[in-house]
Amino acid sequence: MSTLLTILLASYLLGGLLPLCVPGRPHLQNLLAHGCAAGAGVVGIALGLAGLLAADPLTGSFSSNIPYLTFAFRLDPLAAFFVLTISLVGLAASIYALGYVGEFSGRVSLTLLGSLLNGFLLSMTLVVLADNGFFFLILWEAMSLLSYVLVVTEHEKPGVREAGLFYLIMTHVGTAFIILTFLIFFQETGSFSFDSFRHPDQRLPEGLRSIAFFTALIGFGAKAGIVPLHVWLPYAHPAAPSHVSALMSGVMIKTAIYALIRVYFDFLDGEFPWWWGFTVLVIGAVSALLGVMYALMEHDLKSLLAYHSVENIGIILLGIGAGMIFHTYGLHELAALGLLAGLYHTINHAAFKALLFLGAGALQFATHTRNIEEYGGLLRRMPWTGAFFLIGAVSIAALPPTNGFVSEWLVFQSLFLSFQLPTLFLKLILPIAAAMLALTGALALACFAKAFGMSFLAQPRSSHARHATEVPVSMRIGMGLLAGACVVLGLAPMLVVPLLDRITGPLTGVAISSKVLALDGWVVAPVTVEFSSISTPVLAALLVGAGALGLLFARMMGKPLRARYYKTWGCGLNLTPRMEYTATGFAQPIKQVFETIYQPTVKLETEFLEQSKYFIKHQRFEFHIEPLFEKYLYTPVVTFLLAIADRLRIIQAGSLHLYLTYIFVTLVLLLLWAG
Amino acid sequence: MPVSTYLGSQLVDLCSVLLLLCCFAIVAQRRLSACVDLFALQSAFLAATAALVAFLTGHRHIYFAAALTIVIKVIVLPRILRKVIERLNVSRELGMNVNIPAGLLICGVLVIVAFFITQPIIPLGYLLTRDSLAIALAIILIGFFTMIARQKAITQMVGFLVMENGVFLGATAAAYGMPLIVELGVFFDVLVAGLIVGIYTHRLQDAFDSVDTSTLTVLKE
Repeated sequence: MSTLLTILLASYLLGGLLPLCVPGRPHLQNLLAHGCAAGAGVVGIALGLAGLLAADPLTGSFSSNIPYLTFAFRLDPLAAFFVLTISLVGLAASIYALGYVGEFSGRVSLTLLGSLLNGFLLSMTLVVLADNGFFFLILWEAMSLLSYVLVVTEHEKPGVREAGLFYLIMTHVGTAFIILTFLIFFQETGSFSFDSFRHPDQRLPEGLRSIAFFTALIGFGAKAGIVPLHVWLPYAHPAAPSHVSALMSGVMIKTAIYALIRVYFDFLDGEFPWWWGFTVLVIGAVSALLGVMYALMEHDLKSLLAYHSVENIGIILLGIGAGMIFHTYGLHELAALGLLAGLYHTINHAAFKALLFLGAGALQFATHTRNIEEYGGLLRRMPWTGAFFLIGAVSIAALPPTNGFVSEWLVFQSLFLSFQLPTLFLKLILPIAAAMLALTGALALACFAKAFGMSFLAQPRSSHARHATEVPVSMRIGMGLLAGACVVLGLAPMLVVPLLDRITGPLTGVAISSKVLALDGWVVAPVTVEFSSISTPVLAALLVGAGALGLLFARMMGKPLRARYYKTWGCGLNLTPRMEYTATGFAQPIKQVFETIYQPTVKLETEFLEQSKYFIKHQRFEFHIEPLFEKYLYTPVVTFLLAIADRLRIIQAGSLHLYLTYIFVTLVLLLLWAG
Repeated sequence: MPVSTYLGSQLVDLCSVLLLLCCFAIVAQRRLSACVDLFALQSAFLAATAALVAFLTGHRHIYFAAALTIVIKVIVLPRILRKVIERLNVSRELGMNVNIPAGLLICGVLVIVAFFITQPIIPLGYLLTRDSLAIALAIILIGFFTMIARQKAITQMVGFLVMENGVFLGATAAAYGMPLIVELGVFFDVLVAGLIVGIYTHRLQDAFDSVDTSTLTVLKE
């Protein structure tokens, strides 16, 4: 395993450095950077699997001259699982990038883009491997900064710079809280090593544990994108190049999930108060619902996907939160189930969200726009992209038999099993969370019916879409890989669950793989088969079988099938794109229903002909929804900070002499004080 | 203490005091060219002090530093500054942030402060130059004060160079000079600073028709 790890790190390093060594040869640079990243991805998948199957965690450490800092790493099953996830998406994204970066050629330095991508992947991989708080923070910061630099790749566009700055501020606010978390542990244990966090000499006082819980939740939550810290996602994800968005949304925000599990189940293990799990559960439910609701109103495809990341982080946290509640009450099997559901959804979301972002990138590559309203009819022009996007859409909408369905179903089951809890309050709350999840699922389905339908079906609504062509083969391979992963993860839970069980086993103390997989793994059940069970292979077989049976039935009973080619019926008119259902129109009913949350502003300006007001010359329709969190939470904070900064500006007079005087007075005072 | 050492120590003190006097003269001088000349004179005294210390202690490398001081601070930098003054056609400092009598009084206070601060440290020293430490600190503070009190970029440069002289004297006083490589680096820095200020005043003149650094406030948003 250590050989694999060395090869993995070396490939990323080579991928980062080699492109810089061959200046002036963009094709070779592209090949080197993304080839190394893809190679590292393959090695990383192997390493992840090996780490999951290994009996003992792989550890190692290099000391340093800096106090408290040791370059310690530890590949336990939890870390191995995230290495696997990162490598899977990294592999697909780097193959995809081979063709995709052509989009940027001439505008940005491809050398830098390729080499930074390797650095970003390396930092993410190391973040989950780090076994020392100090080391972790350095890597976490490297990951944040590298992703920031990648977000502002197209910095000549003004919106991109603002998005980057917003992201930078949010992630640093988060980092501040993470530092606080580690300092709390450090203060009690006197060391930054994760081992001492794990086994402190004496248990941390209850109050401090709760403070650590909250600082970790805020710190890592800002990165994960939980409501209300999610506001940076819809800005940063669309601004970045699509393969970077895929990585950021697919895996970077997952490192926060990793860290949360690490802190809660590893460092703070033992009994949580019930309200810890409850808090995580509520945040998860709210994030899931609000994420999907805002996604529905987005017509920028990548913003839409960014909001879905908020939703899916919410679903993951629902599983983890339920697991924490069960853990509190000693229901270890159910705790393992909740955690397992959350982790399963983590890798599933990584696969399908990265796939969808790559798909969105392909659409942008072909049409040069991200606005869904300007798409249409792309399925005929880009069949491969369309098919892959459909697989991603079906997965994220949690339709059987895809992977999103399996994990969301497991989350549902763990929430329903709350009747085993001893307190009435939680018995009531968990099903409510399940109901919110159900609503979320339905809205996600609506959202992707919109996203897929408006993008790929009917006629093109703009000349961009009319002239779109299929994307290069490397981009299709990248998407195809992830589409394959979505199908495999969905159809083969019997392969995935035992692996996940090796993570949740040590964390919760029980192995549940044999109970979750009934009938030799063909059926998935939430610990108790009697309660409910489901089998995706059978479902898939049923779906295919029903289709085939229907066709067969039609053949046998009806007249012989004859293909007839004719124009679509259009009431005697010629069909034009203007007759189509628009994305705005599609989302309209939902906007009406949830008016209190969206607070939409609709503006309709009509200009009539001078001669008669029965004929319209111009009509302008505008609508936007109120960004609640920005308006009521962020704007006041920013206004307050600016007001303070304005006060402080008095001392910043811009006068050279004044500044010199500040230095002089400080110097003399310090000298006097020291003397 | 042998007579020769005593005498040497007194001589070093004398030279240091001459340096300090030059500072006061610079603070009291309105004419820019005279300020530059006084700086050159101060640097010459500094070189003399350094050479004296080198002679008394036998540290050869201080001779080298003294020679560099003569070349750079007595010859090259004053020449650059005079050229700048000629080109800009400003000969006098008219407006000042602190007027001359008040400035002299403040400088007096600064000297007292410097002696007060170094009081506890000096008896700990064993070098024959140890008394110069207080004077060196006073020169640094006065140089700094000159930068604050004057508005023309050139006098600010002179103030900066005076500070540098103070640092050099302090280093010689406290530790018989810094390692040669450090000295070389510092000389290079000073030279570069001189060149930069030359260019910077030129630009300032172009942009604001004056070398008054107070006009820089308009750059604030």
